[in-house]
Amino acid sequence: MHEVRPAKITSPIVSLKDNYVRLIPLSLIVAAAGIGSALLLSLDMQRFSFAYLTCFCSLMSLCLGGLFFVIVMHLTRAGWSVTVRRIAEIIAMCTLPMFILYLPILIPLMAGSDQVYVWNQPGWSIEGDAAHKQAVLDASQYPPPIEELKSYYLNRWFFAGRMVTYFAIWGALAWFFLSNSLKQDKTGDKNLTAKMQKHSTWMMIVFAATLVFSSIDFEMSLAPFWFSTMWPVYFFSGSVLSALAAITLICLWLQRTGRVTDEITVEHYHDLGKLMFSFVVFWGYIAFSQFMLIWYANIPEETFWFAWRINPAPGAPDGVMTGWQWFSLLLLFGHLLIPLLALMARTVRRSKNFLVYAAIYLLVMHWVDHYWIVMPQYSEIISEHVGPAAGLALHFNPLVDIPCAIGMVGVFVALFCLIARDRPLVPLKDPRLGEALAHHNP
Amino acid sequence: MTEKQNQETADQKLVGLLAQFEDPGSLVHACNEARESGYNKIDAYSPFPVHGIDPALGIPRTILPFFVLIIGLTGCAVGLGMQYYANAGDWSPLFPGYNFMISGKPFFSLPANIPITFEIVVLSSAIATFLGMWALNRLPRLANPLHRISRFKRVTNDKFFLLIETKDPQFNREETESQLSQWGASVIEEVNEDLTDQQLPSWLQLAGLMTALVLLIPPVLIFRAEGMTSRQPRLHIVPDMDWQEKYKTQTLSPNLGDKKHPDFLFVDGRAMQEPIPGTIARGELYADSEYFRGIKSGTESFATISTAGVRTGLQDEAQQDDSHQDETAKDKQAEPAQDDPAAPPEPDWVTQFPSGVQVNQALLERGQNRFNIYCSVCHGYAGNGDGLVNARALALAASGQAQWTAAKSLNDPEIKKNPVGRIFDTISNGRGTMGPYKSQIPVEDRWAIVAYVRALQGTGIKPKTMTKAVEETVAE
Repeated sequence: MHEVRPAKITSPIVSLKDNYVRLIPLSLIVAAAGIGSALLLSLDMQRFSFAYLTCFCSLMSLCLGGLFFVIVMHLTRAGWSVTVRRIAEIIAMCTLPMFILYLPILIPLMAGSDQVYVWNQPGWSIEGDAAHKQAVLDASQYPPPIEELKSYYLNRWFFAGRMVTYFAIWGALAWFFLSNSLKQDKTGDKNLTAKMQKHSTWMMIVFAATLVFSSIDFEMSLAPFWFSTMWPVYFFSGSVLSALAAITLICLWLQRTGRVTDEITVEHYHDLGKLMFSFVVFWGYIAFSQFMLIWYANIPEETFWFAWRINPAPGAPDGVMTGWQWFSLLLLFGHLLIPLLALMARTVRRSKNFLVYAAIYLLVMHWVDHYWIVMPQYSEIISEHVGPAAGLALHFNPLVDIPCAIGMVGVFVALFCLIARDRPLVPLKDPRLGEALAHHNP
Repeated sequence: MTEKQNQETADQKLVGLLAQFEDPGSLVHACNEARESGYNKIDAYSPFPVHGIDPALGIPRTILPFFVLIIGLTGCAVGLGMQYYANAGDWSPLFPGYNFMISGKPFFSLPANIPITFEIVVLSSAIATFLGMWALNRLPRLANPLHRISRFKRVTNDKFFLLIETKDPQFNREETESQLSQWGASVIEEVNEDLTDQQLPSWLQLAGLMTALVLLIPPVLIFRAEGMTSRQPRLHIVPDMDWQEKYKTQTLSPNLGDKKHPDFLFVDGRAMQEPIPGTIARGELYADSEYFRGIKSGTESFATISTAGVRTGLQDEAQQDDSHQDETAKDKQAEPAQDDPAAPPEPDWVTQFPSGVQVNQALLERGQNRFNIYCSVCHGYAGNGDGLVNARALALAASGQAQWTAAKSLNDPEIKKNPVGRIFDTISNGRGTMGPYKSQIPVEDRWAIVAYVRALQGTGIKPKTMTKAVEETVAE
């Protein structure tokens, strides 16, 4: 039976009120404890930097997914999503302070460290890329000119300049949407919605361009010889999936703590669940497409990246694996097949209890995805410098990686509360609010 | 205003009662009332989708998604299975599949088969959705009794209708009608099915028959073509690919003049020219005589270079042809070629391995591997001349069914005297009835075999595995 829903906000409070004063220090303590203990337990700046970069990239892509959600909802003039859009706006705004969190990677880079990005050394060479070394040496007796060509793009000053540009653009885009939306809460001016819709067009193009290059800079340049034209799409698919999971989880948390009540209904969770399901499929489609094209073409300068993650270690005795194949299988089953089947049914997508677990699960898998991208490069560097046997170890150290991930969750909660403060968590006077409140899935 | 048409006759059958409503709200209200009164064979008709009409009618959620899921999973299994069967299946002699070994690749690799599996899942799911929707809606239906009611035509414009069917166990002609008017129906009308004309229209029957006959033509033509021969040339769909504007090697040039004054592209009438004597193709210089020919540098003549190293097109192949033709003749020669007084003098063979060859364990293992593949079939694994081909050919020769010169034992003291350069030359160019192997075995592998042969000669392993029959044959 079709139930009649309120056409206006009924919650007594739709903001964090004074709770953010309590939540910010709490989450900052968690962040400092987590990241600090990761640093202490690793006792190795390089190992810690890779663990930190994993968590940073997971959170960075999540925030970018939130920005995409905001832009695309304005671009498509979506009515259903109005009540959850403010959450996405706040997540998108987190992109700007994320720049400060990138400084622990960027400052050593500018000081000349090549511990994370191997291309950052004078006359950098294939030394950093153990698996690729032999292929290049076999192909030619001469020093391959490719380092020289790539160094026009991959040099520290240009890299830092790009980073500043990315974060400035993301911050500006996110602030445009958040400030106009907040202004509308007070004035109720419908022209603001029209303005945001109008500008969301070119902003989507700018967002796409920055996401493409930033995904290459953040993670693909860890293996500077490797290239995949599918890479930015892969990064994007995981980023939107994690953002949807985060929006769902935050909505459920706000609703359970009574911050919002009737505004977010099971219909909205159903739609978020549908989007999560579709992005699980999209992620799998893109991840497999990237893998299969490289697997099929079988060109050494492309395959070595995957070979290190699924094949026996190069130069190792027969049958000795790097250990990364378990992570690859974990992604295949955990990031694609299990959520594909789990989120397929309508009833489970409409179950709030189930969605809590599904969203947490997908966020963990998102972190595993980035772990699988970043950390094998560390074990490759180690195997190059210390010898092949050292590279065979998986380098999965729960005492370093898990505190670091918990700390990054603390960072995210702190940023979220810092931006949300006592601002309304639902766009109070959006012209489509009534449509969203009465939203109903046929 | 209630209209009664109580005229159930032999040629008409009552299907149900159709009630007209003026607005969607009253239709939803009436649907709720009907459902709560226990009716379940009811249906609503409206000009646009009315929100909440499904739960008001008590329509259960469709089973179509489960149907599609099952068909999709079946499509996945069938798609993968067909690919597996076509690429790797060989379990049935009747339908053996096509498990051809290509470039040593595995018969079946999962990643390569995922796209097709994915497409089949999508296709089968889409077809299952489409056909399942038709089946669940009992379509196609050529005639609906509702269309006989002129009032019903306004359902596409501004009126809303509720039909309660006679199939419903609750249905009672008078009671249902009073209930409907109670729920706010403006008009109530009987829906009757016409029983007089259940036949398909004759033109439709004819059209169906004609279509079926036309569809038979292609298979009939295919069966006809399969059972007969044709003198017609095949169809050329892309003629410039079938007949390319080029001359093939080893062909005559076309005559550009007339018959009396022929004019060819080249004086010798060929379509293409041989390389000028002494020219060397890129990458085939072979300047290092010791490495590429096993002859000491500075001692080789031009003749030995041209025959042993540089391939000069026809000349080289002609020599090979000659060797094949002479094979039977050479078989009869008891004397090895090097003892032939007419043979050219022996070149100055290298006695040490050339500087480009590093004799180490890896090279010997490579040599053993290559020797076992190329040489052991005749010379035996230990080099004693007891290979299987040799043994079989000797047995055939003993019974007069073949002519065969026994393969040399590499442990023969005379053979042991040969310098490494000569062994290399033997492998490269053949000797006596042994054929040349330079086209099959790369230079570095030939040197590896030489090293391994030297190792075998050093050990001097005696034959152990030679069968008695072969021993007797050899003794004869």
